[in-house]
Amino acid sequence: MSTDRSHIAQLQAQVAAMPNLGLGLGLRHVHFDYIQSNWPEVDWFEVISENFMFSAGRPRHVLRQVAERYPVVMHGVSLSIGSTAPVDFGYLKALRELAAEVQPKWISDHLCWTGVLGANTHDLLPLPLTEEAFRHVVDRVRVVQDYLERPLVLENPSTYLSFTHATIPEPEFLSGLVAETGCGLLLDVNNTYVTCFNSGLDPVAYIETLPQESIVQMHLAGHQHCGTHIIDTHDRPVVSEVWELFRLAWHKTGGVSTLLEWDGNIPSFEACLAELHKARNFMGQATVAAKPEDPASINYDGVATPISFLLPQIMEDTVTN
Amino acid sequence: MDPNSKHLEAIQTWMQQALMFPGQAGLQEETVIHIAPSHTLSATQRLAIYQRGYVARLLQCLEGQFKALCHALGKELFDDFAKEYLRQYPSSSPTLALLGARFPAFLRETRPDQEADEKEPWIDFMIDLAQFEWDLYSMFDAPGHEGKAYAAASDSEENLQLQPCFSIHKYDFPVNVYYSAVAGDQDPDIPSPREHFIAIVRKDFRTAVFNLLPPQYAFLQKMTEGSTVQEALNWTAKLYDKPENEAREAWMDWKKAWLEAGFFIANIRSI
Repeated sequence: MSTDRSHIAQLQAQVAAMPNLGLGLGLRHVHFDYIQSNWPEVDWFEVISENFMFSAGRPRHVLRQVAERYPVVMHGVSLSIGSTAPVDFGYLKALRELAAEVQPKWISDHLCWTGVLGANTHDLLPLPLTEEAFRHVVDRVRVVQDYLERPLVLENPSTYLSFTHATIPEPEFLSGLVAETGCGLLLDVNNTYVTCFNSGLDPVAYIETLPQESIVQMHLAGHQHCGTHIIDTHDRPVVSEVWELFRLAWHKTGGVSTLLEWDGNIPSFEACLAELHKARNFMGQATVAAKPEDPASINYDGVATPISFLLPQIMEDTVTN
Repeated sequence: MDPNSKHLEAIQTWMQQALMFPGQAGLQEETVIHIAPSHTLSATQRLAIYQRGYVARLLQCLEGQFKALCHALGKELFDDFAKEYLRQYPSSSPTLALLGARFPAFLRETRPDQEADEKEPWIDFMIDLAQFEWDLYSMFDAPGHEGKAYAAASDSEENLQLQPCFSIHKYDFPVNVYYSAVAGDQDPDIPSPREHFIAIVRKDFRTAVFNLLPPQYAFLQKMTEGSTVQEALNWTAKLYDKPENEAREAWMDWKKAWLEAGFFIANIRSI
């Protein structure tokens, strides 16, 4: 496991060299036909690694074609970097093989755990942010980076709870990971807003605490405000408060690769692209601090971290004779 | 493991149990120990967001993998079965693609008329339909022959083999007919039992389902075992007590459509 400072510095240099890819979209099954017919003008695609790692069918084929035409980033949801279960080297092997095939600009996942005791909840579960958890995640990030032979990029998740014995604020936890492992950061601006609302924290202070030079990518997405809390639903347009935070983050980072996630009630590719391009209006100077959102509608139907978009549409794609 | 322990492993085990088995005794007391309240929600309410989300998102996935079954059972009953399935067989895979892999077997194991002497036909149908949907789903991402040539009419019959993304199935109901109707936004009646044979094949990344006659099923079954066309014809003719030339005539009728559908690849067999 690589712990020496020169190796960490090397990884940090690799992170610093990660390019600004522009404005990108998530590659989703429902858009496959449109993309293959039109090869639309979008700067880059982010792919959910697990959708393609185990595919021997159309998803992998489409990804190969996309990777020939656009820059691609691999984004995972099952690395479970914070889990106390043993590191899954079978998973890492499949991840590495996919990376060898599509040559992603980087590989990212979340600061979370997804399961223990052999189970996968398919949720991005929050870690108790303690010194014990920090040492554990540092060790795991090093193992993963050694195996993948590249820096890992970690995203701040949306969280709905915090633990009574937590001692480290999340941005400091992430900053510490960067310092001790050389990993990069994916700043999900919407997740920042969601987590901070749900825990009564200041999202501006959160973003300002992060080591800006290690942020290589940002995520944008819509959420559902339930009055007492916010659910990260990825099923609607980005709210103005998140756009203002994005403006701040863009200014602080100097501008990094930015991606819109839309995973529930996914509209047409053009509609996703139009929402993404709104980002251009917020790439100027940071002038406004984030204000609390006024919930437009209160309901409790939203599903946090939707995952049904990960599945292909078999019924629609099957021909019966 | 001590449910009050603050060690990471204990906390993760506790929380995962709390998501998967939210009704367990003592959970509320433990929740207050581990989870901090927010300015608007209690510790229990905050945990409940994860508890609701865990079930809801996996149900959505199972509903997507078994759309026709969900239609046939109705969402409420489907979800009851699916929730119990998730309790008994929580996902252990990094990919959701395998989430429903054991669902047909689970329905078989837990059918409500398990103890009854006479089984309910509608339950047989639901199990059959679940199996069909999983058989179909499995072919979508299976290794196939795309990017390489499929067999053509000009290929020698001796060299014909079934392509890798091909399977045949036998059901007790015409599940394919029901499935197609649901896919066409219809609300079909549950069919009466009738032996039903199909082939599922994927060509150029499109999955297709073909109804088969019993002799066609028998012939293709022999070919899935590695037999040549001639060996499979001989076997089928014998099975149906028909002369070989009659079996060959039937094969000539089937061959054109099956070649077009991509059933076969042409391989030079090793001697």
